[in-house]
Amino acid sequence: MSAASLVVNRHTCFQFKASFAPCTIMQISRYDLEALQEELTDIISRAPNFFLGAPIVIDLEKIKTFGEINFAKLKEILTAKNLVPMGVRNGSPEQLAWAAAQGLPALSIGKLTHGESSKKAEKQSTKLITLPIRSGMQVYAKEADLIVTAPVSAGAELLADGHIHVYGPLRGRALAGVQGNMNARIFCHTLEAELISIAGYYLTKEDMQPLPESHGMIQIYLDNEQVRIETIS
Amino acid sequence: MAQIIVVTSGKGGVGKTTTSASIAVGLAERGFKTVVIDFDIGLRNLDLIMGCERRVVYDFVNVIRGEASLNQALIRDKHVSELYILPASQTRDKDALTTEGVAVVLEELRKTFDYIVCDSPAGIERGAQLAMYFADHAIVVTNPEVSSVRDSDRMLGLLSSKTKRAEESREPITEHLLLTRYSPKRVTKGDMLSISDVNEILAIPLLGVIPESQAVLRASNAGDPVILDRESDAGQAYADAVSRFLGQDLPYRFIEEKTHWLKRLFSFKEKEAV
Repeated sequence: MSAASLVVNRHTCFQFKASFAPCTIMQISRYDLEALQEELTDIISRAPNFFLGAPIVIDLEKIKTFGEINFAKLKEILTAKNLVPMGVRNGSPEQLAWAAAQGLPALSIGKLTHGESSKKAEKQSTKLITLPIRSGMQVYAKEADLIVTAPVSAGAELLADGHIHVYGPLRGRALAGVQGNMNARIFCHTLEAELISIAGYYLTKEDMQPLPESHGMIQIYLDNEQVRIETIS
Repeated sequence: MAQIIVVTSGKGGVGKTTTSASIAVGLAERGFKTVVIDFDIGLRNLDLIMGCERRVVYDFVNVIRGEASLNQALIRDKHVSELYILPASQTRDKDALTTEGVAVVLEELRKTFDYIVCDSPAGIERGAQLAMYFADHAIVVTNPEVSSVRDSDRMLGLLSSKTKRAEESREPITEHLLLTRYSPKRVTKGDMLSISDVNEILAIPLLGVIPESQAVLRASNAGDPVILDRESDAGQAYADAVSRFLGQDLPYRFIEEKTHWLKRLFSFKEKEAV
């Protein structure tokens, strides 16, 4: 390891590298540490290896209004189960301060809070594609919506942080909200896609119910973590 | 200034070399000074189809490496004047081709020829990418079946992104679809994709439809490009394709099922009975 890094550059002793390390989000919906401990024991017993040493980010979105949270105790529970608490997110300013005092820094990874996503939306512009997207091609609309006015072939891939609109036949893959925007949608006229995905929740061609013979515009959205396909008449 | 045409498909065995040979002969017959280049280094085939395998001394790789001059390597075709063949090397592999080397050879050929036909190898590796890199026109050869259509679709994607014209953001390559080994009978039976099925997916102008024909194999074995077999349906279909390439508007032939006159008579009677 040290030999390898020496080869890279003799003058620096480290490098920053961008990465998307997988991280488990623990969203707490009810503040009851005893019940939490029991549930955790139960879940971990079902898949012990999966959780072994897993980095955990504690999401406080649903208990934001809750006053006092014993972060020291929470940390202890997680550590006892061989989990690695990394930090907290989406808490109230006081909560984040308490958590920081217990060595759990405030993180802003993964899903954005509502305030942040609306800020992002203002920056968004739209990416427009007018030429056919052929098999093997990939188009990514970073922090933007994607509009395609030409066919999307089987084996092609559309990715967007925002919505995806396809006016030609959609035969490839379409992944909207790839950075986790669960409000992203896919709109198309004919749905022959190999795969559709919203914020990582996906359906393959096999899972898609056939649509009625003559249908209008189709929209695909996420409803309660379920990908829904709906026609708009 | 010469026009460079690449004959490509992605998938192997669909008729790229047969097409390259016939299109080149067709263009030369109409008075255009034409050269056809075999880019399939290591799997030399074009010389066999053109019937000049016994006259190959130097090849494309020799020219690129400066071991022979272009004039030494070009073989004059025995069927048509104005047509020359630049054979591939059989002993090297595709890495023997370099972008700079190919550029120099094509630049030299551009000075004296009207059309340069590049016979691409199958696949999407170096050889195929170099064959298309400098092209002005692409003839995408497709069989009416799903895997060939998907591979052609992939090639069309590469044509619009990995070529010199695309890199320099010039006017894109002119794309032409050539459907080969088409059998109207099998289309009617539902065993084969129809012209409209293929067109729906690829959506590029149709240069021609070459019917599945005994004449093609016969011509390959004899070393006479099938376009010269003027009696055959495939030969006539290639001649039509060349005309369309040169801007003529012709109806498509050999795309309907041939029915025997007796059968037609009976079907007429059946209709009457109803």
